[in-house]
Amino acid sequence: MNDIPMAVLKRACIAVCMVFALVPAGVAQNEARRIVEEAQRRAESKSQRYEGFLQVLDSKGKVADKRWVFMRLGSHGRSKSVLRFVTPAEVKGVALLIVNHPDRASDQWMWTPALQRERRIALQDRSTRFFGTDFSFEDLEERDVNQYDYRLLGDEAIDGAPCWRIESTPSERKTSQYTKSEVWIRKDNYALAQVESYIKTEVVRRLKYSDFLQVQGIWTGRRMEMNDFRRKSRTILALEKLEYNVPMKEEDFTLQALRNPL
Amino acid sequence: MRLLRLISWPYLRKHAVRSLLTVVGIVLGVAVFVAMHTANQAVFFAFERTVDRIAGATQLQVSSGEAGFPEEVLEQVQAVPAVRVAVPVIEAPAGTNLPGQGNILILGVDMTGDRSLRDYDLESGDEAVVDDPLVFLAQPDSIIITNEFATRNALAVGDRLTLSTMIGDRAFTVRGIMRSGGLTSAFGGNLAVMDIYAAQLVFGRGRRFDRIDLKLNDGIAVEDGRAAIQKELGVGFDVEPPASRGQQLESTLAVYAISMNVSSVFALFIGMFIIYNSFSIAVTQRRSEIGILRALGAPRGQIRNLFLIESAAGGLLGSSAGIVLGIVMARGMVGSISNMLEGIYGVAERAEEVSADPRLLAVAIAIGIATSMLAAWLPARSASRVDPVQALQKGKYQVLTAGENRARRATAAVLMAAALASLWIGTSVGFYAGYVLIILAALLLVPTFALWFSRALRPVLKWLRPVEGALAADSLIQSPRRTSGAVAALMLSLGQVIGLGGVGRESYNSIVDWLNTALNPDLFVTGSQNLSDRTFRFPEALTASIAAVEGVDDVQSVRSLRTHVGGMPVMLIVIDAESFERRGHRPTVAEDPRGMYPLASAGQGVIVSDNFARLQRKRLGDRVDLAAPGGLLSLPIVGIITDWSDQQGSVFLDRGVYKQYWKDDTVNVFRVYVVPGTDPQSVRRRILERVSPEHPRLLVLTNAEVRSWILQLTDQWLQLTYSQVFIAVIVAILGIVNTLTVSIIDRKRELGVLRAVGGFRRQIRQTVWMEAVAIGLVGLALGLLFGAANLYFLLQITGRDLSGMYLPYRFPVSIALMLLPTILGAALFSALWPAESAVRTSLVEALEYE
Repeated sequence: MNDIPMAVLKRACIAVCMVFALVPAGVAQNEARRIVEEAQRRAESKSQRYEGFLQVLDSKGKVADKRWVFMRLGSHGRSKSVLRFVTPAEVKGVALLIVNHPDRASDQWMWTPALQRERRIALQDRSTRFFGTDFSFEDLEERDVNQYDYRLLGDEAIDGAPCWRIESTPSERKTSQYTKSEVWIRKDNYALAQVESYIKTEVVRRLKYSDFLQVQGIWTGRRMEMNDFRRKSRTILALEKLEYNVPMKEEDFTLQALRNPL
Repeated sequence: MRLLRLISWPYLRKHAVRSLLTVVGIVLGVAVFVAMHTANQAVFFAFERTVDRIAGATQLQVSSGEAGFPEEVLEQVQAVPAVRVAVPVIEAPAGTNLPGQGNILILGVDMTGDRSLRDYDLESGDEAVVDDPLVFLAQPDSIIITNEFATRNALAVGDRLTLSTMIGDRAFTVRGIMRSGGLTSAFGGNLAVMDIYAAQLVFGRGRRFDRIDLKLNDGIAVEDGRAAIQKELGVGFDVEPPASRGQQLESTLAVYAISMNVSSVFALFIGMFIIYNSFSIAVTQRRSEIGILRALGAPRGQIRNLFLIESAAGGLLGSSAGIVLGIVMARGMVGSISNMLEGIYGVAERAEEVSADPRLLAVAIAIGIATSMLAAWLPARSASRVDPVQALQKGKYQVLTAGENRARRATAAVLMAAALASLWIGTSVGFYAGYVLIILAALLLVPTFALWFSRALRPVLKWLRPVEGALAADSLIQSPRRTSGAVAALMLSLGQVIGLGGVGRESYNSIVDWLNTALNPDLFVTGSQNLSDRTFRFPEALTASIAAVEGVDDVQSVRSLRTHVGGMPVMLIVIDAESFERRGHRPTVAEDPRGMYPLASAGQGVIVSDNFARLQRKRLGDRVDLAAPGGLLSLPIVGIITDWSDQQGSVFLDRGVYKQYWKDDTVNVFRVYVVPGTDPQSVRRRILERVSPEHPRLLVLTNAEVRSWILQLTDQWLQLTYSQVFIAVIVAILGIVNTLTVSIIDRKRELGVLRAVGGFRRQIRQTVWMEAVAIGLVGLALGLLFGAANLYFLLQITGRDLSGMYLPYRFPVSIALMLLPTILGAALFSALWPAESAVRTSLVEALEYE
């Protein structure tokens, strides 16, 4: 022991202290990622079907309503969805086919009955608003857990329900219109309660979930309200007749099926 | 300055009307110069602004000629890493059916991504319609118009607007009105936005786009982005910044600028001779003052400078007035240039701001002053050389000495030799130098020829009126200097009328010949009355439907589109080469010994028009490179034919090769031959019955209707010649009035003596009238001679620089015959006032004159 110089001992002590000092941050990151992964695991289903009711309320108080039927086949990251509009009359029959890929942006096609043709929608600028709503195309993408870095910021209740507040920052290889997001996940059922999206230090959008119900074992917020603080408008989406793991056929999620609705 | 105040100013005040007439020459010349360049620039700038406004934030545009390209190219472009946003565009003109509105440019865009490039700021209407592409796309009758167009036509949101489309007249619903500014001011507001896929349907584009507009990722240089996209797409595509469309227009306008410059130079030349004439008058009238000044010791330079300063002031005044008149004329000309460009872009460019470039104005003033001083140089020099003794001998001044005449003839001979040498060199510079030298030589020969013609006229005039005729002829013979200015101006002006008229007449005859030989189908099935309208395209399958109609013998499907060869726009005409060989009787200029049609049909070559070959400097066997979406198509020329389809030249390509490289099988015009002995009208009816339900847009035109439409267009072009005749008449009147005024002043005493010895006023009048008619006849004779030479040069310019079509030389006898009464009438009219002035002069004053 006497052979060990004091300077080296001092250095070793400092290093150990530093490692211990860093542990809480690492633990917080791991914990945050574990919570997000668990939330995603609990929300997983083989398929989903609901009737959506969408209301866009602009800054002047004007309200525009739309209804659609949504069907999804496949699990997170590899799913295919069809969204078919029902009302109002001017968009009735318009349908969207979305094919998600785990490693790249989704492919989307739209069917326009009045023209009797489908068209490909190229999502080049993902900050574009989704068909006049307050959601951007990026807001509706299925998020890959691995493309973000997480940090647990603490606990905070949303509508009286205790939640984890987690900061999510796009990783270096992920491009996003947002600088970061803060996500609130309920502690009781791991359901998403709220997402606030930032550009630099400003909150530009807030998505709030409510009307939680356990449907076939999956806790789902059936009412979503997106606020766009820059436009001073909001969009409410209500999921009605929600079902999971409904039997669906692969051939119903093709361009051919898009042209010939059931 | 003192001399100007004491001598020039009182003279100008006393002869205010004539002084104004003097500057008219400069006014005309400068006005034509300013008008042509200002109108050209106004249309060009308006077009540039339009391109800029339509482009929005676009950094690069991908195109492949008029044929467009398949939709898949969009995904290729979007996949290039440097590209941030790439959106498809269809641009198509559509008839509005609204009085005075003409066509409107429809911008077909994909609202999903297009707002990243263009701002659709709504004045009124539901923002959601634009914000929500779903609503916009779901209703293909949606259209967004500009505030300017809505205001002009009292349209509001929700109103219906009927547009002529491929699928017939179709009612669109105005879903929004764009706020004024930026995009809305393109084409003066005659612009509307609709969904690109609806535009594909109503304009028969199939699954093709006209263009892709794109923005690059931040930090990517435009040139790097351009190179990356070009590499991805290959040579068949143009990847250029939006501004390059303006450059293409500039090159198109440059061709027209050549003819404008020729007219402008002629106008200035004519103005110069009017000024020369006017200053000759001034020198004559003020000869006694000059004599006194010289007798008092004024140096020659002072006298010369006095006249030169006067001419500079006249030039300044004339060019200033010419600028004002030119800008007014430019406003009128903008319309016709816009209409000319409408043929290229489909929508008339409304150049509402016609303002002249300060540099152009400075040049115009400099030209006006320089021309005026140049024209006044000889009279000023003569004034400075006035001998005080000779100044008292009226009439002698106007005589040209034999030495003077010899010197002029010798100089003319030298210039003529130099002109022939320049023409022999054969280069463009040599040719134009030769042209200018010939004009100068002709001008120098004017006094000699005028003298000869006057002598030849004397017996005729004397036979008509022994006293008055002889006096009139002698007046001309004794004073060639006085007459030659007016005659020269008249000669130039009439020479231009003969030249332009001859080119116009010969073009007309050649077009008629071409119509008789090449345009031989009995019926034309097309989308527009205007056969050159390439907006509407029909599926190839329609060929079989038409061919199946009873009475149809043969159907040729033709697709025309504008493309570029060697940087110049040319017309690509897609044909069925075999059928053309069977049916066509186009005059062949050169042909591959193996036969041009079989080679073209086998995809082993192209046939070109003779004007294409000349303008592009190509010969049989040379290769023509055509950039197509499927790659670069390089084929040899296997035949050259006479064809008038396009002024910039045509390339005929077989349909099979076209489909392979352009991936396009659409058709603009079906040329239908009926079974011999069948009534074309009944076949027309049957074709309409068969195809109309599916294609309501289709028209079936008879050969006579197409022929009459083409000839009507040609007639419009010939109107230009008639406007030149008007200018010639003005020049004739101005020149003759001036000449007669000098003549009467010079012969004041002679006319006074005639009256004193019992001459009637009627005789004086008739003398003046006959002198005017004689000047008109001499001017006309020289004008016809000069016109004969000028016609040769204008035919050469048309062939080598304007259209590439070498027309046969035929003197326009009918125009010459029309000029005879016109110029004699103008001469008589211009003699009215001087004749009255001559008879009303006091006898005492006239006899005191010397």
